[in-house]
Amino acid sequence: SSMNEEFLKKWQMGLQIFSPSIDNTSVSERKRAIKLSADVAMASLRKGTTCWSRALIQKTATEDNFLVRQMLSGIKEEPLINKKLPKVMCHRKIVRRSKKILMRRKSRSAMEEVAAKKLVKKKTQGLRNVVPGGEFMSSNVLLIQETLDYIISLQTQVNVMKSIVDAAEAGIER
Amino acid sequence: MLEGLVSPESLSLSYADMSVPERLKWLQQLQQQEVLSQSSNDSPELLQILQFHGSNNDELLQSTFSHFQMLGSGFGTNYNMGFGPSHEAMDGCISRTGSCQIDPADTMGVMLKNSEENRAISLKTKRKSEVKTREQEKTEKKIKVEAETESNMKGKSNMSNKEAYSDTLKETSKGASEIQKLDYIHVRARRGQATDRHSLAERARREKISKKMKYLQDLVPGCNQVTGKAGTLDEIINYVQSLQRQVEFLSMKLAVLNPELDLSVEDLSVKQFQAYSSNLPVIVASKPLIMVDVPLFPLDQQGSLDLSVINLNQTTTIEAVRFYHSENFSDYSKFLLLVWEVTCLLYLFASAIYKLGNSVT
Repeated sequence: SSMNEEFLKKWQMGLQIFSPSIDNTSVSERKRAIKLSADVAMASLRKGTTCWSRALIQKTATEDNFLVRQMLSGIKEEPLINKKLPKVMCHRKIVRRSKKILMRRKSRSAMEEVAAKKLVKKKTQGLRNVVPGGEFMSSNVLLIQETLDYIISLQTQVNVMKSIVDAAEAGIER
Repeated sequence: MLEGLVSPESLSLSYADMSVPERLKWLQQLQQQEVLSQSSNDSPELLQILQFHGSNNDELLQSTFSHFQMLGSGFGTNYNMGFGPSHEAMDGCISRTGSCQIDPADTMGVMLKNSEENRAISLKTKRKSEVKTREQEKTEKKIKVEAETESNMKGKSNMSNKEAYSDTLKETSKGASEIQKLDYIHVRARRGQATDRHSLAERARREKISKKMKYLQDLVPGCNQVTGKAGTLDEIINYVQSLQRQVEFLSMKLAVLNPELDLSVEDLSVKQFQAYSSNLPVIVASKPLIMVDVPLFPLDQQGSLDLSVINLNQTTTIEAVRFYHSENFSDYSKFLLLVWEVTCLLYLFASAIYKLGNSVT
């Protein structure tokens, strides 16, 4: 709950920074402002200790550098960027053919094992695509740690936003 | 550092080999005495001691205790300590000299343990092989594997992280001994499993990963039904994606509802604050609104759609429409909201049908 309040405070600060600089009559602009400030608030709660938070901040910095600098001005300096994981580009047909040759003698159970491992690898790659900064995480252990933290932060973000929306609607209803 | 040493000791007792409990206790007492007496040593001295002894025996115990601690007290500030600031790739080929570059507190502990272990091992008569995995606070992951004989100490071998999951089968029975360093993870090798350094370290990694996956399973709703890594990963991906979509949707809604970009706290009633503290989403009882929630289209085991849920959502659409029309909304924003919600519904339909199609094939 303290995290909720901190997030709310930072989010409000971000929105106040935003409001003079955007055109208030356009819905899409407002939505973008809200989302950006919420994301940066969520990421800054971690104060640079997690990989996803730094990646998220860098992503939003590409969209609106000024806002990010203002929001983070009280907290810390520019976070470092990690080296991107080298993605090996394989020619798929050749790889597939060589794998078939290797597997010709193996038993069926081994093939199933290999297929299962392939599937798991695919899924972890999918997870890397979803979690911000996933391509920079070098090990699976790190990836899962970051996912845990990211999920928790997302949950707080969603909870706080839901409460605000409901409060706004309740206010309008009156 | 002293408190840190105290806490894993209780765990070390459970990990300790039952045949040498006295040695353990002796070591612990030694260690406590050492810490008390040598609290003001500085590292260069200890480095010399280490080199003199010629051993690189880092016997360390790490818990999972720290992880439990983190979970128990909530993922607040405690969790950050487990992470540390940098996540550089730890393909640790650490040489012995490299290990001496860790921060002074750690080196001191390492040196202390080394000197104690030398004395302890001279008393030992049993042959053991052990695996240690180390986690610094700065999350440098180093894997060190130790094997000892009666007469001499083998050198430390340092390994890079392995990505392959391979099991080699050898018949040996293992003992495991302890401790001390709070940063080290202690893994006991089981009977019938390889004592090969690589596979032991791999197994330690795998156990770490499976432990974290269990935490994730508790966190993600609906993950318990699926077994296997691929399924749980799939669920996790879906959950994260749905959370992200929810954020987008909520920010859009807020943009529509709130013409001025201020979240003034005075608007919020006391009820809202209580809702914050209980960490649950607030549900406005009078007018249920459509939220893009995770269990919106629950698929049962065979993957068929739960049609009753769809009907429910349609009725809530109608209610929401009535709600919006009854208020003094501008027509444009009402229209926008409607369009948004209809597109969300359509998107959900499409994704559900896609899932259904996937499960059938």
